[in-house]
Amino acid sequence: MIQTIEASPDEIYDIELEHSLLEANAQLAKENRALLDRHGVTAVDVMGAIGSGKTTLIGRLVERLKDRFGVAVFNGDATTSSDADLIANQSVPVVQIATINGCHLDANLVGKALQKISLEQLRLVFIENIGNLICPAEFPLGSKARVVVVSVTEGPYMVRKHPHMFLGAQLVVINKIDLAEAMGVSVAELTKDVHKLKPDLRVIPTSCKTGDGLDEVTAALLAV
Amino acid sequence: MHELSVASAVVEKVLEFVSAHSVKKVLAVRLAIGELSHIEAEQLRFCYVAITEQTPIQDSALEIETVEAVVNCERCRYRGRPKYWDDALSVGPIPTMECPNCGGAVEIAEGNDCAIKSIRFAVEDDGLAIPAA
Ligand SMILES: Nc1nc2c(ncn2[C@@H]2O[C@H](COP(=O)(O)OP(=O)(O)OP(=O)(O)O)[C@@H](O)[C@H]2O)c(=O)[nH]1
Ligand SMILES: [Mg+2]
Ligand SMILES: [Zn+2]
Repeated sequence: MIQTIEASPDEIYDIELEHSLLEANAQLAKENRALLDRHGVTAVDVMGAIGSGKTTLIGRLVERLKDRFGVAVFNGDATTSSDADLIANQSVPVVQIATINGCHLDANLVGKALQKISLEQLRLVFIENIGNLICPAEFPLGSKARVVVVSVTEGPYMVRKHPHMFLGAQLVVINKIDLAEAMGVSVAELTKDVHKLKPDLRVIPTSCKTGDGLDEVTAALLAV
Repeated sequence: MHELSVASAVVEKVLEFVSAHSVKKVLAVRLAIGELSHIEAEQLRFCYVAITEQTPIQDSALEIETVEAVVNCERCRYRGRPKYWDDALSVGPIPTMECPNCGGAVEIAEGNDCAIKSIRFAVEDDGLAIPAA
């Protein structure tokens, strides 16, 4: 049997707290951004579903950029370091960020990762977020641009199913277009869906396999 | 998953409040969740119950109020509810960043935060002065 104790009304208080649960992260994100700005470094947050090609895309972009200026990569990976290893083969600074809840990166973790590398020689940092289409949208990290990587292998309705991720993004990459025909997925329709959510959002179709669209992504990132 | 980290943040803050005041029992914690914050109320409640077990705030009610989204359009100066996309395959119609008035791109003005509004609690019998927030 459950016993309940009722406090009499004069013993009950209602206290206004107005405490934002997202504010602390937002504040740390601002600090990260200020640190990056001071060093003239641009951070790009790469989000998207598991397996959409975030690591592969970052790898291909690093290949193109690393001889022009300093590039570093942060890999958010819940369990393994396989992603980080993949990029480290290119001999650019890599920091693996293991999250505790495996859900999303936060500004605090990114701030710690920023302490681990020298920002002096750097121009661009790619931050690979955890493969998750729901959480990271609310956790700004201090990046100048948020890129969402989706792929045609996620099916024709992936944008409609996961609309939240796109609202705060500056660039959408529709990857694996080399597989579009085989998958029966229309890149034009996916693009239309993105524009229904956010009319001015830039969409670039790519294939990390054939190299299609990678020049365009590179140029877009250099312009942010 | 995400709800779990939000629930943990709520519990942490409430426990901090409890230990700083002469609280006998926390009756309710009221949250204001923005429509655009994508936090699912039922999942959040579930997480809350799970992690408050065996803590001083076990059995407190989690009251969740949704804060409606408000957007601003720079182009036509529209300010108000966003345009909704009905064919989206998520649970219900989803808010978009398209201006309902001119079709341009809007910015979020309200409805993307997630906050603890207030705490309702009973004080100790010998309850000293009214605890300050
Ligand atoms: N055909 C094809 N395969 C690709 C393309 N881009 C990536 N892949 C493959 O897709 C698989 C997943 O790629 P990753 O880069 O590991 O994806 P990810 O988004 O980093 O995955 P997680 O970090 O696990 O979420 C790998 O086998 C890649 O080789 C592409 O454009 N075309
Ligand atoms: Mg990866
Ligand atoms: Zn407008």
